[in-house]
Amino acid sequence: MSRGTRWRRAAALCLLAVAAPAVASGQEPVPTTAAPSTGEALTDREAERLDAEAARLAEELRCPVCRNQSVSESNAELSREMQALVRERLAAGETPEQVKAYFVSRYGEWILLEPERRGINWIVWLAPFGALIVGGGFAVWLLRRWTRAAPAAAAASPQAPGLSEENERWLRDALREG
Amino acid sequence: MRKHLAWILPLLALPVLWLLLWGMGTDKYTLPSPLEGAEAPTFHLETMDGDSVDLADLRGKAVLLNFWASWCIPCRQEHDVLKLTEATYDREDAVVLGVVYQDTEENARRFLAQLGGDWTQLLDPTQRTAIDFGVYGVPETFFIAPDGQIARKKVGPVTWDLVKPTLDSLIAAAPSRTAGGAP
Repeated sequence: MSRGTRWRRAAALCLLAVAAPAVASGQEPVPTTAAPSTGEALTDREAERLDAEAARLAEELRCPVCRNQSVSESNAELSREMQALVRERLAAGETPEQVKAYFVSRYGEWILLEPERRGINWIVWLAPFGALIVGGGFAVWLLRRWTRAAPAAAAASPQAPGLSEENERWLRDALREG
Repeated sequence: MRKHLAWILPLLALPVLWLLLWGMGTDKYTLPSPLEGAEAPTFHLETMDGDSVDLADLRGKAVLLNFWASWCIPCRQEHDVLKLTEATYDREDAVVLGVVYQDTEENARRFLAQLGGDWTQLLDPTQRTAIDFGVYGVPETFFIAPDGQIARKKVGPVTWDLVKPTLDSLIAAAPSRTAGGAP
């Protein structure tokens, strides 16, 4: 029993170690309601907040030109314009979700660096953990089988290890003759 | 148990193999556009000649909207097809519009002087229209139906084999051409 518990505890720890960073990074900040500040001069604090919000959103959008970079990392002209557009839309009172929805409506969900957690997309999010559990379970099963099988086989067979029946007979005969 | 495993393991590998083969067979540079079948984004842009064009004013006509740049080699390849389109269709039926993308007006003019073509060229200095159309590279061509819907998007150079049937079918489906008249 204690052996089983140990296995279970070890597996749980492994899973936790792998899953924790993913879960932590997956926490999205609560979207703040944008201040309706169109046309008015922004205070420094508002401008700063907008900049920060736009920068955060730009990190979630894929640069359509370079593809494996976010809009905020990319120096492509299109990305810079996209970042400016993100800020403009936020300043016009759109929520971050609305801004993202706009880009999705133009480029498809592909424009989001992380697929949204819904519907069939859950496969992408959960498959690695599934593979880990199945692969880990298989490895554990295999290891236990190997470690158990070896001594059992040794105990069960009176033969000298590594000798075929024929060779053993020959060896026995030779020893008897000698 | 061992016998079962001998079957299960290769079977588990099959979906992965299938995914790999499927991935090799697809063109990773062409993305499906969510705009096909949707209403074309509106725009009001200045032309290179100092006029302006509003897409809404072109309702009732098929529109071929082509994003291009002078530095783009495939744009050079497709230019003759666009010239042929311009020459073939009555402007009351189908309108060819170019949008100069990430390029200077000077370079665009030089390109056109060299290769010809006198359809309307629009300027999009802030690239807002390009982003509105989900453009990610040039050339990209949108076929807009007379009712304002995007019927088709083509990434990469267009061919006459694509342009002719597409525009023909859009013109044929135009409300003014059908017996019923206005919808």
